[in-house]
Amino acid sequence: MAPTTRTILICSGKGGVGKTTLTANLGIALARLGVNTVVLDADFGLRNLDLLLGLENRIVYTAQEVLAENCRLDQALVKHKQEPNLSLLPAGNPRMLEWLKPEDMQRIATMLAEQFNYVLIDCPAGIEDGFKNAVAAAKEAIVITTPEVSAVRDADRVIGLLNTHGVKPIQLVLNRVRPKMMANQEMLAADDVTDILALPLLGLVLEDEQVIVSTNRGEPLTLSNSKTPAARAYSNIARRLQGEDIPLIDPAKEGLGLRDKMWRLMQTKIF
Amino acid sequence: MEVSDEIQRLTLPWCREAHWWDSLPAKLNQLEPRPTELDCRDWRLGCRDLQQLSELLEKTGVTLTRIHANFRETIVSAAALGYQSYLEPQQGSHTKVTSTDTQPNPNTPPRLLFHEGTLRSGDHLSAEGDVLLLGDVNPGARISAGGDVMVWGRLRGVAHAGQDGDTQAKIVALQLRPLQLRIADAVARGPEDQPQPGLAEEARIEGGTIMIEPARAKTFNS
Repeated sequence: MAPTTRTILICSGKGGVGKTTLTANLGIALARLGVNTVVLDADFGLRNLDLLLGLENRIVYTAQEVLAENCRLDQALVKHKQEPNLSLLPAGNPRMLEWLKPEDMQRIATMLAEQFNYVLIDCPAGIEDGFKNAVAAAKEAIVITTPEVSAVRDADRVIGLLNTHGVKPIQLVLNRVRPKMMANQEMLAADDVTDILALPLLGLVLEDEQVIVSTNRGEPLTLSNSKTPAARAYSNIARRLQGEDIPLIDPAKEGLGLRDKMWRLMQTKIF
Repeated sequence: MEVSDEIQRLTLPWCREAHWWDSLPAKLNQLEPRPTELDCRDWRLGCRDLQQLSELLEKTGVTLTRIHANFRETIVSAAALGYQSYLEPQQGSHTKVTSTDTQPNPNTPPRLLFHEGTLRSGDHLSAEGDVLLLGDVNPGARISAGGDVMVWGRLRGVAHAGQDGDTQAKIVALQLRPLQLRIADAVARGPEDQPQPGLAEEARIEGGTIMIEPARAKTFNS
């Protein structure tokens, strides 16, 4: 077993806040940093991590066959076509949910930990069986939330559950931040969120239309050398996980139009 | 002073009798270097007092294991220092001076439940007597008690004091910004406007409705 393997659960409680997008982009970003990474889709009921990575048509075997010992682990692992450092272990049949136990997930995670430096687990939404299975396999966690009251509430609940399962450290990613709305106090500020959740902030991802484009294409933003705000944020999260000290962006200074930037420039005195 | 089999007991004098600090040297001489429980009786001791006392005990080789007291202030301080603490019913402390030791009845549940840690959304902490929480109550979490609810932190969830019908029960918090407050059968929504920062507040029933006002030191004594 690789001694430095980090098994990280990516979860949120609420659906649609960006778990799978973060898993896919973070997986690619880590692979591009040269570390051997595997993403494990624990969302058996509604799997779509393979879609986001553009690997849907390459899946032959799934975690289900591995557990039933109908195939070897390396047969089920799907290597990413452009980033060989990244592999995907696809989720099995949705019907598998009924018999999957937390021990099964633990077995898969232990198998993966022998080969990879990072095991990223894409957790299903909710806090029912799917979540319990996924959390059993994880050592640490990244909780992702958006600056909305409902998402923060669900994240809080999930953090409580992670604490009882002894998962730590737990870090926070704040997704879909709109700097303008934050500045106008129409949206929860980053401070408000960390104030309630009391977690260290691992990253701040700005709202970015390119995410939708990349999701539909099956090419995560971090794959290209895209300079869009979200792509930068995802790569920064990967580098922070690797121990680099990269300061968080300040939402107040981001996403300003050219006019705002000129206005700001005019107001600064230059001698 | 009583000496039990395992844990010896150091009992402070009643307030009226003598100052606890003055009587300490004599009592310390009688102690053996064994685990010791401290009975503070009706002394209201702060963290600093208890810290001094425990340091003094350490010097003589005595380790303090738990603390009994008649007043919640002392219990709060003891709990904050990490000691097991038990609130004893007040017996003859103010009105009459008794010199007999009052042993706690082991069958009655402790009047004060102490909990350390933040209550997150979905959590529910409930106590038969009073409850003291060292941490926040986040939105979506609940804290309820048969007696008073005391939160050494931010109260942003739902709190219910006197859930068995005690209308005298109070809710106290360093920052009182609840979604909803309940005392006995009365229900109130939390205040819409931001409270003054740095001011502990308490909620109690006055004239049938729940009122919020700055917390008074008296809260702990009554």
